[in-house]
Amino acid sequence: MLTLASSAAPAAALHARLAGFAGFLRANGFGVGADDSAGVVETAAGIGVFDGDILRWSLKALLCARGDEWRRFDALFDAYFLPPNRSAFVRHRDAGPGASHGAGSPEDAALELHVASAAEHAGAEDDGPGERHGASLEESLASTDFRDLHRSEELRRIEALTRRFARRMKHLRLRREARFHRGRRMDLQGTIRRSVASGGTPFRVAWKDRRRVRPRLVLLLDASRSMSPYSFFYLRLARALCLELADIHCFIFHTRLTAIDEALRDADPFRSQERLHLLASGWGGGTRIGECLQAFNRRHAPRLVHSRTAIIVVSDGYDTGEPAALGAALGELERRARRIVWLNPLLGRPDFTPESRGMQAALPHLDLFAPGADLASVERVLPSLIEALR
Amino acid sequence: MSAAAQRMSAVVELQRQLQDAGYIAERPLAAALLLMLDLRRPLLLEGEAGVGKTEVAKALATARGARLIRLQCYEGLDVHAAMYEWNYQRQLLAIKLLEHDERPIAQKEQDIFSERYLLKRPLLEAISCADPPVLLIDEIDRADEAFEAYLLELLSDFQMSIPELGTVRAVSRPLVVITSNGTRELSDALRRRCLYQYIDYPTLEKELAIVEIRTPEATGKLARQLVEFVQSVRRMDLKKKPGIAETLDWAAALLRLGIAALDEGGAERIVETLAALIKTRDDRAGFTREVVARIAAAC
Repeated sequence: MLTLASSAAPAAALHARLAGFAGFLRANGFGVGADDSAGVVETAAGIGVFDGDILRWSLKALLCARGDEWRRFDALFDAYFLPPNRSAFVRHRDAGPGASHGAGSPEDAALELHVASAAEHAGAEDDGPGERHGASLEESLASTDFRDLHRSEELRRIEALTRRFARRMKHLRLRREARFHRGRRMDLQGTIRRSVASGGTPFRVAWKDRRRVRPRLVLLLDASRSMSPYSFFYLRLARALCLELADIHCFIFHTRLTAIDEALRDADPFRSQERLHLLASGWGGGTRIGECLQAFNRRHAPRLVHSRTAIIVVSDGYDTGEPAALGAALGELERRARRIVWLNPLLGRPDFTPESRGMQAALPHLDLFAPGADLASVERVLPSLIEALR
Repeated sequence: MSAAAQRMSAVVELQRQLQDAGYIAERPLAAALLLMLDLRRPLLLEGEAGVGKTEVAKALATARGARLIRLQCYEGLDVHAAMYEWNYQRQLLAIKLLEHDERPIAQKEQDIFSERYLLKRPLLEAISCADPPVLLIDEIDRADEAFEAYLLELLSDFQMSIPELGTVRAVSRPLVVITSNGTRELSDALRRRCLYQYIDYPTLEKELAIVEIRTPEATGKLARQLVEFVQSVRRMDLKKKPGIAETLDWAAALLRLGIAALDEGGAERIVETLAALIKTRDDRAGFTREVVARIAAAC
């Protein structure tokens, strides 16, 4: 199998070949670290085997960390260690990792171009046919939609709602009890423990109370053109939430995914707006929900999403990308998160049914699919969200 | 004999030992277990519920003649339940008894906070065994992230600090087997520290071997038929697919009812035993007499 394993080949070349395997896996999306290269060589040396199935099985156990890696490993192992396959495979992969470190892969460049052109068009098209089409549809609901929420009175209503919501989030407690400095019930065991210091006389009483939890919210806002009547409302809502809650993380997506936490948390509202404006400089292009959620899964989800995380996606579900990708990405999120809520501003309309292919792919993975065209409908979603995070 | 051949014979030997302990392991799993013994790293087992993840640890303990210490994780599992706790009641009693003792206070205190009053929970137990035990940390995905972090620390240093007593170092390094059902994504740090093995539903041959080893009363024909039946049930779109444990339960149920072969005519009686195999109401609704008869006919 390994041609270098012959006695004539120097050990150094063999080691280099083995050490390169971890990098090869990394290039193929495995979560292997820098020290794993050394681990591969050590393992091979430790078990005294440099080829064959034993090496395959051992490295598989060593380098895989999750189910999808497990299933892809054998093909990659063959590709790397079996010469003919390998050359074919590497040529196929060449454009990926190597290029992306440089000025940007072709894919990136295309994206840049797309975004730039969208930005250029945004000014010209403001009163163009695309915008009018959206506007005429929404005309009838104008009184309840978010587009009117520039008024300060509405802003105050948003803030009042988020404050109420934040207060309830902060006071979430579990049924399970833990020790507290001051609590509802006496902790007998803890009291006895403390009385040891005073020879068995309980001077200081220990208490217990229901355990607090720290739920986390992740907000994914669709900022595409079709969502533009609602984007500003949701950004306001996100900003109000960010100022009230510590553990909330916001992203906007259209063709790309961007974190907007820092901009939202800026205490100065005008500077916050300015920064958001800069971040959103590509708004109004098509939407690739699936790809954006996959990017979220890859880059942010391991760090952000835990078992008490609720994910709120705000989007109309009009996806120009592949619906299967959206379904897969949501499926992965579903496994990590406590709850996935999808707010669709169009859902409240009498004539709307979620028939777009993107929405159809998403529906099986959602815990709650609700209308989100006005403040009242957002408010209706929140109690069940809090209940789910308990 | 070459190194590779030596290693392979070691793998086969371990495989045989596991089989003697009642567990059919494929060679890759045996190789991973061997690597785990070499590197002394924990082994993380993932896979659907009921594919025999827990059994791996039990079989490994039996095969190596080691003690099995099991820590079942659950939400809210804390240090006191997993590592150690002081036996306060006994300590208090001791204080009362020591009241008229003339010894200096420092010595009394040392006496009260000695190992005699320490209740060992699984993790402390595991690192204070003289012979390396097998430590099974079952369903770690049910425990909180905080506990995972704590465990990570223990697994890297194999020592534990007890404020009143000092640091307890591992007498011997336990063989750690961690299982997860994937209800929650585990931290990357934990994954990185462990060797990994994904256990799938068994193939027909493997499952047949398991049934033969665990239910020797079943005749060859029945064993083959019932395994084929279970395999085709698994290919159906079910909420809860039957695991190996279900297969064995079902085999026992069939034997108990005296069913010697699965055939179309006996569909009625097979339906009666399906409670051992199909565990949700929705899935059960799909198994009418006709469906069962059709599957049985194909076996």
